[in-house]
Amino acid sequence: MDVSLFLHYGPSLASGLGVTLLCWAAGAALGVVLGFAIALLRRLPVPPLRWLLRALIEIVRGTPFLVQLYLLYDGGPAIGLRLADIPTGILALGIYGSAYFAEIFRAGFDSVPQGQIEAALSLGLSRGAILWRIRVPTMLVAIVPALTNMLIILSKEVVVLSVIAVPELMYQVQSMAAETFAAFETILALALLYWLMVELVARLGRAAERRATAFLRAA
Amino acid sequence: MKLQAALDALPYLLSAAGTTLWISLAGIALGQVLGACVLLARTARSPALRRAGAVYVSFFRGVPLLVQLLLIYYFLPYIGIDVPPLVAAIGALGLASGAYVSEIFRGSLAAIPRGQAEAAQALGFSSATVWRRILLPQMLRISTPALVNELILLLKASSLISVVGVTELTRTSHSFAAATYRPFEIYITAALIYLAMNLALAALGAVLERRLAAAG
Amino acid sequence: MILPPAASRRTVLAAGLAGAGIAIAGIRPARADTLAEVKARGELVCATEMEFAPFDFLVNNEYTGVDRDLIDEVGKDLGVKVKYLDLPWTSVLPGLEARKFDFVIAPVTITIERMKRYSFTVPIAEATVALMKRADDKSITKPEDLAGKTAGGQKGTAQVAQLAEFSKTLPKPITIKEYVDNNQSYADLAAGRLDASVNSLPNLGYVVSKRPEQFALVLPPFGKPSYYSWVGRLGKEDQSLTDAISASLVKMQEDGRLATIQKKWFGQSFALPKTVPTPSL
Repeated sequence: MDVSLFLHYGPSLASGLGVTLLCWAAGAALGVVLGFAIALLRRLPVPPLRWLLRALIEIVRGTPFLVQLYLLYDGGPAIGLRLADIPTGILALGIYGSAYFAEIFRAGFDSVPQGQIEAALSLGLSRGAILWRIRVPTMLVAIVPALTNMLIILSKEVVVLSVIAVPELMYQVQSMAAETFAAFETILALALLYWLMVELVARLGRAAERRATAFLRAA
Repeated sequence: MKLQAALDALPYLLSAAGTTLWISLAGIALGQVLGACVLLARTARSPALRRAGAVYVSFFRGVPLLVQLLLIYYFLPYIGIDVPPLVAAIGALGLASGAYVSEIFRGSLAAIPRGQAEAAQALGFSSATVWRRILLPQMLRISTPALVNELILLLKASSLISVVGVTELTRTSHSFAAATYRPFEIYITAALIYLAMNLALAALGAVLERRLAAAG
Repeated sequence: MILPPAASRRTVLAAGLAGAGIAIAGIRPARADTLAEVKARGELVCATEMEFAPFDFLVNNEYTGVDRDLIDEVGKDLGVKVKYLDLPWTSVLPGLEARKFDFVIAPVTITIERMKRYSFTVPIAEATVALMKRADDKSITKPEDLAGKTAGGQKGTAQVAQLAEFSKTLPKPITIKEYVDNNQSYADLAAGRLDASVNSLPNLGYVVSKRPEQFALVLPPFGKPSYYSWVGRLGKEDQSLTDAISASLVKMQEDGRLATIQKKWFGQSFALPKTVPTPSL
């Protein structure tokens, strides 16, 4: 193995990692917010809205991210949406993630025992208070692992952005591979950097989990 | 748009979709079994087992699937294990999926009030009965949407198995796109095939969810 | 005995992997000569990515292209059958090193960096740089017209490097956008994001012949002449196979088989170097 390669390509790998983190964080934040909004809207008693949201979720969830990215990037200009590569990537990641996050939040809402809601209602809590003080904290217990899963999966979809020339980690790794043909080193670089990044998020997820379940242990 | 390009490719895309479907289903089955085993390890009394389960999740969730496939197919031969392409493909999908599935199970287990299991044990139920009659049915109900998410993701992630030489839907659509210079038409067709397969999976999930909700 | 570089690299990598938690036991056994092995087996197993027209591509799932015609002739010369594997580029080189197959028949531009890792055959085709524009774009008639405009190409390729060199000779530089896949560069050219795509002349010539209503070549080609070769493993036991394939390619040039294949795919024949050229980049 040629260690000098890592020194030579260190700066470009680091900048790739930076772009990956940026796209991931922004895309995931957009996805979580959109997904939560969709899950809330799906609880409204308006059947056409529910069907529409359900159809959107199934289409976004059911088709490959690569195709959605192509549609947004190559088809966007046709409807007057001409974005640069990084904003396109973030928007695409956010839309893609939102469908999965919406489903996770839906399951979370369903996991809250009805008795708790009834008890809160009988205590005279407002709807907003029930949402933020009862439903959300209770559902977090069930869904933090699934949310962490999805965040990790989303981090790996960032590599797809390389096809529209977003200079993220995969893009840099591929140019390292193309210039030197050092196949093993590039695979190793990709594996280690990703593992590091994902392990970090998994740890944050576990910390969040401990906080979310703290009230269970206190009880 | 030239529909002809898509129509010419369609028979080949459909036959490749067959490969995608059966390999994904095999990977899903393996992933469910592994996920359950890892969950048992992570909730076991032995610290060594718990540690092993945690390392498993960290590795198979942390390292990109592409790299896992390359490791299984191209690095195992160095230690004398030559894995055939199909085994490598299904094995890698199942191993990675197992890590995600075990986490989903773990979350749903945490959502079940602890008092239930304790009450059942106090009533003299064996721990196997507690798992089978009380914990598992509720876990399945809570985790179904996240599991369906995971299955759909796995079906799409199976596009990566082409790196071990298994020709599936995405690979075939790439080949046609590259030969015809009509990527748009071909990719849309492939996306519709993926959508059809995933809608079927989601519908199955919805049926399961209704059944479990009715039972619970 | 001096350890061949491929083997030493593998040993170090194995150690690295062991450090990463994967125990590696056993030592690579001594290998027989690859050419002798191929002949004894009666089959030469080759891999390429079949998404690189006109060299390697699939027509209704049947492998076609310049490389197939050439390697079939090589197979006849060596007296063996040829088996072709279609792999994504990501796994072509790892597969070669892991000995999943014998040889890579993808066209690769020879560069100094790459020669440190793999052994190259004599050239199989010219890889001189050319440009392609939209057919209806009247503002570009020669490569120099690209000054101040935007061109795209595949990242890390020798063709993009030559375009960057060429750009320095112009009054206004060319903005170069690099893609991981040539097909996306063509798509962005069609969509108007780029004014030109850069690639080798044979590749672009084929694209234009398939989509003449959309694309046109910008002639003449520019830059230093460069060539595509095939790739084998570096190392003593593998060199004989690369040499045998090179010898067969030279023979094909002398007896006219190469010219026939060139006329079929490029519409003209041209001479190629009969030794492995020393790369300038």
